[in-house]
Amino acid sequence: MKFFNNRWFLLVLRLALGGVFLYAGATKVTNPQAFADSIATFKMLPPQLLNIVALGLPPFEILLGLMLISGWKARAASMALAGLSIVFGLALGQALMRGLVVDCGCFGSGEPSTLKTWASFGQAFLLFAGSIWVFRSASNGLKQDAT
Amino acid sequence: MKILRSDLMLIWLVATTALCVGLLINQFRDTPLPLVYRDKAERLQDSVQRIVSKESASAPAPIVQLPEKLTLEEFSSYVENKRGLVLDTRPEIFHRLGHVPGALSLPRDDFETGYAALKGKLEADRSQAIVIYCSNASCEDSGLVKKSLDALGFSNVALYEGGWSDWTNAKKPEETAQ
Repeated sequence: MKFFNNRWFLLVLRLALGGVFLYAGATKVTNPQAFADSIATFKMLPPQLLNIVALGLPPFEILLGLMLISGWKARAASMALAGLSIVFGLALGQALMRGLVVDCGCFGSGEPSTLKTWASFGQAFLLFAGSIWVFRSASNGLKQDAT
Repeated sequence: MKILRSDLMLIWLVATTALCVGLLINQFRDTPLPLVYRDKAERLQDSVQRIVSKESASAPAPIVQLPEKLTLEEFSSYVENKRGLVLDTRPEIFHRLGHVPGALSLPRDDFETGYAALKGKLEADRSQAIVIYCSNASCEDSGLVKKSLDALGFSNVALYEGGWSDWTNAKKPEETAQ
């Protein structure tokens, strides 16, 4: 447990998490149409919202990634990323439960596959866990600053 | 509680900024994404409509009529004997990495641009033999492009449903982009 609270581990975790979201956003921002097609395979959103999400989500991931990497408002950024990871997990989970073969679209578009969907589901869980840990450490840092 | 509220406010602000940035970037794209989603078939139909509106399509009677679908053997013989055009409807990057010898790229996801690039070859004769393929038997791109070419007046278009995976599994020759 001590290792997971080590400041170097927390720094690496924060940078890695920020890097993952920065990369994820950058791969999607260049081709929003492909990302919209990926989201459409989940059959969760109406057509009126698909393109708005495809245009807005990648820059959101990039900004949050930059916030985490820079350390500016890391607590808020990690909270948002934990929320996003929950949304991704729910989207992937419902697709798996409904037997939909989806293209995650997490890091650019690809061929839809059930195996990749399971892998992405696990990935979302890890990102959620990482975000919560960064959020926890940032919260502790704030408490220490206050005392 | 106060910190949590300020965090949520900040997240809301970042999300709004991100959406504004996304919408702004979209305006500077060559083909901006419309605000309401159009699926692949609808987008292809839009492309066909735009091409048709620029010119009136005419289709003379075909000289050699291809069957609706070609098997691996039929397609292989078609390619070897260079009986007509072969169109690869996969995204262009996959075409660059490897394609059936002599195949031209007409990606479903960028139909209008691809069609404009091949216009001279395609419109030289709308009854010429054209065989279309995509990734594998379950991909829908070749079927969608065939429908579009039919709508544009091409009367001799066949599908090679096995696609690239069937071709490579059979160890048939490949070609990469120069």
